[in-house]
Amino acid sequence: MNSLLLNVALYLGLFAALLNLVRRQWTLNLIALVVQILCLFPMLDAILPIQLAVIQPFTGVMVTVILYLTLVSVGGIEPINLRKKPTSGEVFRTLAGLLLLALLRAFIPNLQSEVFQGTPNQLLFFSMGLIVLGILQLGTIREPLYLAIGIFTFLSGFQLLYNALDYSFLLEALLVTLNLLLAIVGAFFIVKNAESEP
Amino acid sequence: MNNTVMIWIVLPVLMGIALSFVRRWQRLYHWLSMLLPLLLTGLAFIFSSDLALDLAGRRFVLADSLTVLGRTIQITADQLGMVGLLYFLCFLWNVVRRLFPVSQWFGSLSLVVTGLWVLVQFLNPFIYSAVVIELIALLSVPLLSPRGTPAKSGIIRFLSMQTIALPLILLSGWMVSGIETSPSAESLVLRGALLVSLGFVIWAGIFPLHSWLPMLTEESQPLVSTFLLTMMQLGLVFFFLKFFNQYGWLRNLPQMNLSLKWIGALCILAAGLIAAFQSNLNRLLGYLFMAEVGYTLLSIALRGAGGLEVLAMTLLPRSLGFWMMGFSLSMLQQAADRHLLTLENLRGYLWRYPASSVLLLFGILNLTGMPLFGLYPSKHILWNLLPIDTLPLSLLVAVGVLGMIVFFLRLFDTFIHQTPGSAAESASETKTETVSLIVSVVIIVAIMFVSGLFPSLLSAPTQNILISFQNLMR
Repeated sequence: MNSLLLNVALYLGLFAALLNLVRRQWTLNLIALVVQILCLFPMLDAILPIQLAVIQPFTGVMVTVILYLTLVSVGGIEPINLRKKPTSGEVFRTLAGLLLLALLRAFIPNLQSEVFQGTPNQLLFFSMGLIVLGILQLGTIREPLYLAIGIFTFLSGFQLLYNALDYSFLLEALLVTLNLLLAIVGAFFIVKNAESEP
Repeated sequence: MNNTVMIWIVLPVLMGIALSFVRRWQRLYHWLSMLLPLLLTGLAFIFSSDLALDLAGRRFVLADSLTVLGRTIQITADQLGMVGLLYFLCFLWNVVRRLFPVSQWFGSLSLVVTGLWVLVQFLNPFIYSAVVIELIALLSVPLLSPRGTPAKSGIIRFLSMQTIALPLILLSGWMVSGIETSPSAESLVLRGALLVSLGFVIWAGIFPLHSWLPMLTEESQPLVSTFLLTMMQLGLVFFFLKFFNQYGWLRNLPQMNLSLKWIGALCILAAGLIAAFQSNLNRLLGYLFMAEVGYTLLSIALRGAGGLEVLAMTLLPRSLGFWMMGFSLSMLQQAADRHLLTLENLRGYLWRYPASSVLLLFGILNLTGMPLFGLYPSKHILWNLLPIDTLPLSLLVAVGVLGMIVFFLRLFDTFIHQTPGSAAESASETKTETVSLIVSVVIIVAIMFVSGLFPSLLSAPTQNILISFQNLMR
């Protein structure tokens, strides 16, 4: 049961991250971000006491709320349009993301045996998956608005991995501060963009 | 409050935050943002020999550490020189801030950023400082890309690169945690060294991962970019030296010094070659930073032959050189009334804005390391140390320096030649340089010349700054 829950969280979380990489619709992106964040919890719960396991998802939800409130204030929340035909850029990002995840899946056993011996397989795949999708997001965006989501995905993957390797209260506090500051910078970019639009 | 960490880290960060609430009282905001770092500089130099002070019959003794969430932050007396230098630079940039249209947050955020760079140096375990460096990058955003201007690709790339470097450093720390006790773990040593090196290459904008550096200087106000990049360069140098000092396996790697020399020389070469063909002065600033990173790496690599003493000598003149560049480029921007300073639109400026133009020309000569200027003595020593090793390295550095001289000559040619009609425009120019500006420029240039003739003037205050890196200074 526990393994099933972890697998569901793993694939759902990666799907949400992939959706954020591919689609450029704020409402959809925020929902996907919340799903991605909530999927971290079962993974963290498997390695940390519950009081510590809730910190990262809770911070993530706060980040999403900050971005949501900023978007509401600038009128950026629109109904989700699922029927919109995918653009060539979206098709490219989907294929690139899937290719990276497939390659990662193939290399995870080696990575685990060579470097991250004590890290559970699913956690390693989830964290590395978020890291590579985050890097891909950072490498393919031109809009500063999506920078926050890219950095957040990358950092949440790394934070998940590092929690399994070496937990520290100070580091956790610094990373929480970093995530909240990132949300503020993301909000700053959203406001700037709204102001510079005619 | 009688604690070094409280005085030089917690207090400035809190005061920086508090300052942001007095922004509407411009005069007060300006004076506080200028005097607070000056006060912290003064205190750092007073306590740099001993953490105890007898004053008016009372004895003030400062504790040197603070424990936060089970980890220790420690600033000892011999490290206060480093702290003082960082706050002095913060003061220097805040003095001229009000003359130019920089972000209104500069006064408060510059203090917070300086406080965080101090924290980077003294956090234990020191690899956690990587997160603080990312925090600084995020805090720099409102300064580099203020409201009212669209965010461009330089800032995106800067943030992306700073973020990517963070896990490399943290993972390296975790990976090599047991290495000191098992020196035979050669593959672990190589992996750790690779992660650390790659992390620093991305952070500092070292060739070939430097693309964000000229993009960022092109997009942002020169005074702001020079402040943030100077602090970053200094902060990263101290942080890198800490790695070297702490990790014996890293500094004793046989390939490490050779790699540092080649990377340093390539940085100088690439910066010089690109600068020679550059027509945008904002981007040139990025290449000047890249060249100086190259010189820093060379100094670290040549530490066995006195490279670290040379590095300590250059800290203040180099920072002053960047301050001078930021100041002169901002003045020219203001005079030309445009953000981008290209060679085409600066024709004949030497006759229209002599003080600003001369300051910029001298600034470039100073950073290139030409005789009579502040950076010449240290660069001269470094160039002399090079031939002992290999000739190709010297050639790379020489071509890099030549590239910078070619750019200087192109700029000089642009400055002295007027386009037809610009002479009349120059005569009817309403914006002229004020007497106070001309006097300031004369004083700055005089300081540069005097420090070139008497190198100890600027190098003496920083000569013991690296003394806390005991394993390197031995």
